[in-house]
Amino acid sequence: MPRNEYQSQLADLRADVVDMSETVAERLEMGLEALETGDEAVAEAVIEGDAEINQMYLDLEKQCTDLIALQQPVAGDLRFIAASFKIITDLERIADLATNLGEYAKAGETSLFPEVDLQELGDVTLEMLAESMAAYADEDREQCYAVDERDDDLDYLCEVASDTVVRELIEHDQLDGDEEIEAYMEDVSRFLLTIRDIERIGDHSVNIAARALYMIENNDELIY
Amino acid sequence: MSEPDTDPEATDEAVSSPTPGSDLAAATGSASGSLIEEPIIESKDIDVFYGDEQALREVSMPIPEKQVTALIGPSGCGKSTFLRCINRMNDLISAARVDGDLLFGGKNVYDDDVDPVALRRKIGMVFQQPNPFPKSIYDNVAYGLRVQDQEVTDEIVEEALRGAALWDEVKDQLDESGLELSGGQQQRLCIARAIAPDPEVVLMDEPASALDPVATSKIEDLISDLAEDYTVVIVTHNMQQAARISDKTGVFLTGGELVEFDDTQKIFENPEHQRVEDYITGKFG
Repeated sequence: MPRNEYQSQLADLRADVVDMSETVAERLEMGLEALETGDEAVAEAVIEGDAEINQMYLDLEKQCTDLIALQQPVAGDLRFIAASFKIITDLERIADLATNLGEYAKAGETSLFPEVDLQELGDVTLEMLAESMAAYADEDREQCYAVDERDDDLDYLCEVASDTVVRELIEHDQLDGDEEIEAYMEDVSRFLLTIRDIERIGDHSVNIAARALYMIENNDELIY
Repeated sequence: MSEPDTDPEATDEAVSSPTPGSDLAAATGSASGSLIEEPIIESKDIDVFYGDEQALREVSMPIPEKQVTALIGPSGCGKSTFLRCINRMNDLISAARVDGDLLFGGKNVYDDDVDPVALRRKIGMVFQQPNPFPKSIYDNVAYGLRVQDQEVTDEIVEEALRGAALWDEVKDQLDESGLELSGGQQQRLCIARAIAPDPEVVLMDEPASALDPVATSKIEDLISDLAEDYTVVIVTHNMQQAARISDKTGVFLTGGELVEFDDTQKIFENPEHQRVEDYITGKFG
C-alpha cells in the first residue's frame, strides 16, 4: 500500500488515542474508588495524575495537526483525524471530572446518603466509556447507538439520585447550630456536584460515540 | 480535417487553426440564457479509442456553467483525453476515434456541421507548459483574436490581460517578448490569449504543474475568478488543488472509467465508491 509512513502514522494515532482512553478509564476508576473508600492517597494520585493526561492530550493534538498539515488527509482519513481530535478533548474532560471526584473524596463526607449508590452510577460511566472507545477502535456503528441509549439510563439514575438527596434534605431537621448547618450544606452541595459530574462523564462518552459514528459513516445524527 | 497537424504548435494551442470565418453551428447553440442547473456541456456514453486501445469507457458527465469542474485520476486514466474531447482536440490525433455524444449547449460537437475551429473559439484551452509565442505580449493576446478573424483593439487586449490578472504587471512592457516573462506570468499570458476571443468555456490541462507554489497560488486564484465569467474544466494531478478550487470533481480511474462525479466537498469528505476513497487517500494509484 503506498504512503506507508502516512498509513503507519494513522495507525499510531488510533492506538495512542485508545491508550489515552485506557489511562483516563483508570483515573475514573480511582476517582470512584476514592469516593467509595475515602482513601486520600488514591484521591491525591488522581489529582496529581491530571497533568499527565493533559500532556497526553497536547501530544495527540499535535499528532492530529501534523497529519492535517503534512499529509492533507481526505475522506475517511480526514473524518478519522477530525473525530480523534474531538474525542481527545472529551477524554481530557472526563479526566478532569475524575479529578473532581478525587477532590470531593478528599474534602469530606461522601456517604451522606447511603440510599444513593454512587458506585452503581460510576460503573455505568465506566462501561459507557469503554463501549464508546470500542466503537471508535473497532469502527462499530451499533456500539455508538448503544452508548447513546445507555446515557438515557444514566440520566434517569442521576435524576433519581438527585431527587433522593433533595427529599432527604427537606425531611432533615436534626441539625443544631449554624456551623453544623453550614457543614451539612457543604456536604450536600458536594454530593449533588458528584452526581452532576458523573452524569457529565456519561455525556462525554456519548460525544465520543457520536464522533465515532461520524468517523465510521459520515453520520452526524448523534452529535448534539 | 482542416487542422494543421503538421504544425508543432497545434497540439499546444486551441486557437491555432488559421481557418477564419468558420461555421459557428456549435457555438451559436450554446447554453447562455438557459437554467443554471442545465449543464453547458454534457457527455453521454463517450468512448474514445486510440487505435485498438480504449482510452475512455462510456463516460457520462454533466458540466455546470460558470463553475470549476476538476478532473482527477492516476496517470493514463483518460482525464486529459476527456478534456480534449470537449473541444475536439482529439481530432488532431489521427488514430483517435470518439463514439457517443458530447453536447455543448445541447448541440453534439461531433455532428458533421460543426466546425472545430469555430468550436474552439467558444472553448479555449490552456496547457501544462506555458507556451507563449516568440512575439510581443500584445501580439500573443492579439493572436487569439486574429486567428479567429476577430477585431483586435487595445481595449480587448487590455481586458484579456486584466481578466488573466496580468495587466498590472505588464502594462508598461506590452511590446516586449512574451518569452521574457516568468513561468507564472507566461501561463497567465496564455490564459489571456485563451480568453481574448471571449469563449464560454476554458479547458485547462495541468495549468499549474510546471509552476512554483507562489505562481500556482496566483493561477488558482485566477481560476476561481475566471469562473465568474467562464465555465472552467481543469485536469490536475494535484488533488489538493482540485479540492481547493473546484465546485465539482470527476474521478477517473484506470481503464478510462469515470467512477464518480459529484460536488467536490462530497468527493473529498465522503465519496460513494470505495475505489475513489482508496485513490484520494493514497491507498492505491
